[in-house]
Formats: sequence, structure tokens, C-alpha cells
Amino acid sequence: MTYLSRIRINPLRKASQKLLANPRALRGAVVGGIAQDPTEERILWRLDADNPRRPLLYVLSRSRPDWTHLVEQAGWPGADGEHAGVRDYGPLLAQIATGREFAFRLTANPVQNTANPDKPTQEQQERVANGTTKRSFRIGHRTVTAQLAWLLDRTVRWGFEIPESRMSTPAPGIAPLNDPHHGGEPAREVRIIARKRHSFTKKRNARPVVLHTATFEGHLRITDPQVFTDHLLKGFGPAKAYGCGLLTLAPLPRHLLHEGGH
Amino acid sequence: MASSEEAVLLLRLAGPIQSWGDRSSFNRRDTRPEPTKSGVIGLLAAASGRAREDSITDLAELRLGIRVDQPGTLLRDYHTASDYRGRPLPQAGVSKKGVQKPTSPPKDTYVTTRFYLQDAVFLAGVAGPRPLLETLDHAVRHPSFPLALGRRSCVPTQPISRGLRDGSLGDVLAAEPWLASEHARAVHEREHRTTLGSWISLSATLEDPEHGDDILNDVPRSFDPHHRAFASRRIRHTWLKVPTGLADAGNAADTTADAGHDPFALLGW
Repeated sequence: MTYLSRIRINPLRKASQKLLANPRALRGAVVGGIAQDPTEERILWRLDADNPRRPLLYVLSRSRPDWTHLVEQAGWPGADGEHAGVRDYGPLLAQIATGREFAFRLTANPVQNTANPDKPTQEQQERVANGTTKRSFRIGHRTVTAQLAWLLDRTVRWGFEIPESRMSTPAPGIAPLNDPHHGGEPAREVRIIARKRHSFTKKRNARPVVLHTATFEGHLRITDPQVFTDHLLKGFGPAKAYGCGLLTLAPLPRHLLHEGGH
Repeated sequence: MASSEEAVLLLRLAGPIQSWGDRSSFNRRDTRPEPTKSGVIGLLAAASGRAREDSITDLAELRLGIRVDQPGTLLRDYHTASDYRGRPLPQAGVSKKGVQKPTSPPKDTYVTTRFYLQDAVFLAGVAGPRPLLETLDHAVRHPSFPLALGRRSCVPTQPISRGLRDGSLGDVLAAEPWLASEHARAVHEREHRTTLGSWISLSATLEDPEHGDDILNDVPRSFDPHHRAFASRRIRHTWLKVPTGLADAGNAADTTADAGHDPFALLGW
């Protein structure tokens, strides 16, 4: 069984201020909600702060979680409404089939692995000079272009495709911005709605962990249900412990549904 | 008056242009933003074949409610009038014989300004005794004289009558689905930067003899050209929650706090 949870976070609580600022602290709170072997299973989570005054925490877990501690420390324990909704993920997994289209959202950590960085830091230069590198360097993509390209490069491997964005035909004499006939890549139905740089330490006086995250939102079409389901449950890209890699699906907006048959 | 015999006749007042004047009688012809009672009663009287001199007291007793489905936009028409025989126009003053004197120097053209509502749609509810409304419903579907929306040049689109309903004026007007065109719906969505839900709030003016807090002087006493007179009526302005006729399919995602993306929308099935 797999469960998707949605927990309301009250940003005015003392405890939640630490959780919202530090992905490592939030991971601790998420893992604390899993009763059995929390270190064994891959827990995916994501913080959605569309409305910064009412952030929502989404968690995908194999076993049924309990969020009483989060509601007590960082929620509204006495308030009306659903503090923490937990739903079976089965109905969604049952809908995954080739050609199905959904709206999606994904917060990911786009990175590249390279042995020869363009602009190596002092430390990287020393490591290359000493020959002490065992593996290539993992460098975060920091521009919108690179982050989008990172996602579009991987969609085939992940079992889905992002349709070309629907644009009206340009007026006569005006060339489209990204004309495939002129060597450009066609624009896709995806955009980055938030980008963030996280920096936090795991130990006192240790070097900080630095993460560049990007939140993608768009429209996808499933091409390989098996591979897609696998990734949906295991997560997309690196930094899954720190709130990256949970891709959620939602119904397409109504204006896209009408033209879904094209 | 037994309440069981009360009914409401619904009329859809829509056309390329409409003009509902209530006070102007000279060179500047205004329009109200909503249909007037004299205009609607004139339409009903024309449909039932009454001459201008005939009594309309039974029609004037009906209560009128107007719902604004599409407010439309104001059209200003620069309008000129001349004598078709090429003679100079007469002036306002009269001679000893009681004949209008010619203008001097001769004036051949009047300039008048006329205002119209273009692309407006209204839903009018006429409340009154059921037998009378049944005859009016039949008359609107089989009119004796050509019908017009406030002025003879303003031709209505069909169908006008939407039939009789039971219930109070406000409830009946609120229950009828929104009559806006597909284009008007798209414009509304674009201007309000929203996707339409299953209901929309529309403004309405309801005749309310007891609790009305505003007064309009548009109740005709007679359409006789020699005895034109108007009485007043008490009205009340309100907002009605009207169904748009759209399914609730897209609304689950719209109503949640996380308006943009709701992963739970797919899990409820």
C-alpha cells in the first residue's frame, strides 16, 4: 500500500519556523511520522508554499503514517477542518496508462555530474591536482534554462513526455520564437514556478549542504506506465531526502480538457 | 389575491441593440442600463394586440424583476433628421393659426444623439395572476404587432418567452441558468482572471412594493399619445446566485486552498 498525506503547517508556530527554514529539520519531522522502519522505505515529501501563509506538506509513504506530532507542534490542533489528510494512492496508480494526460508538479534538484567543471572552485582544483577524486563532481544547475533542459532531457527515461505548448499561429511575416524549422526547440507545456537555494549544516562547524531546487509545473503524457509508476514511487532526481523528487498528478484544467483529443 | 394563482413569466430580452429611455423626450435620447417597466409592458401590450389608446391598467399591476445576464456596452449614435420633401424644418413657435412657423434662416437638419445598449442580455420576470400571464405567454409567442426592445429599431432575438414558473420573483430569477453567450463567458473568465464555477453572482432589480428602498418613475398609466403619464414603483437592488450550467468537474481543484495544483483531486474516486 502507498499513501499520500497532506499536512497543514501553521507558519506562525515556533516549531514550524525551523521546519520551514531547514529541509533537514523537516525531513526529521516527516520520518517521525512513519511508525515502522522509517529508514528502510523511501519516503518522498514536498513543501508547497503557493500561499506562504498556508504552506502544505505532501508526503508519499509505503506504510500508513501518523501526523499527530506535526499537527501538535506545527499545525492548528484545535481548528476546524482536516489537519492531515491521508489517502490511499491506489486509485491514482490504477489510472496510470499509456497516453493518459495529467497536470503535474515536481520539486527537483537538477544537477550535472562532471569530472571537469567549467569554473572549478579552489577545492575542486586541489582535488583534481592531487588526483584524489574518486567520482566526478556533482554540480547543481542554477539557471532556468539549464534546469528546464535537465527535466526535458530525462522525461523519456522517466516514462512520460511533455507535450508541445499550444500557441496560436503567428501573423504573416513574423517567425515564431522557437521555430523547429529554424533550429529551435519547440516550447513545451512546462514552466518553473519557484527556484530556491538551500544551505544548511548537518553537523556543527561542518561544511554546509547546498541545494538548488526548482519547482516544475506543467502537463504530461504517460508513455511507459511501468517505468513511470516505478519513478512515481521512488522519486525523480537527487536530494530525495530533502524534499525533492515527489511528482504529484492532478486533473488537467478545464480549458485543456476540451482540447485534450488533439 | 390567492397566492396559488400567482406565477412568473420569464422573458429573455436580448438583441444586437436595445434602448430603454425613461425621461428623455428631446434631441438627446438616453437609455437606462436595464429595461424599464414601461418598455416591457409596451412589449407585452404590442404582443397582445392592444392599440395605443387601450387600457393597460391590468398590465401595470404586474410586478417586474430584471436580472442582468450580460450588461452590454453603451453605443452613442450620431443621428440626423431632415424633411423628406426637402423643406426647411419648422421651429417650436406657432403662428396665430396654430401652425408651426418655419425656421429662419432655414434649417434643414436636426442633430440628435441616441444611446443604445449593445450586446446586452437581460432576463425579465413578470409576476402576476396566472391566467393573465398565460395569455401574455401565448401572445409573446404569437405577437400581433412587431416586438421591439425599447425602440422600434431594436429588434429582439428569439425566443423571447421562456415560459411560466411558480414561486417568488427573486427565487424564479435566481433559479434560471445564466443566459450569457459562449463568447461572453470567455470574456468574463479573462477579465476576472478565473475559471467559471458552477454558479455566478448577477445583479438584479426587483419590484418590491413593501420593502423596496428605491423608486423608479417608469410605470405607464397609458400609452395614448395624448395622455402619456407615468406613476412610480418601489424597487430593490440585489445580487442573485445563479447557476452557470457548468458541471462541477473542474471545481474540486478550484475551491481548495492550494488552488493551482491539487493532488488529492485524483484520489477521491
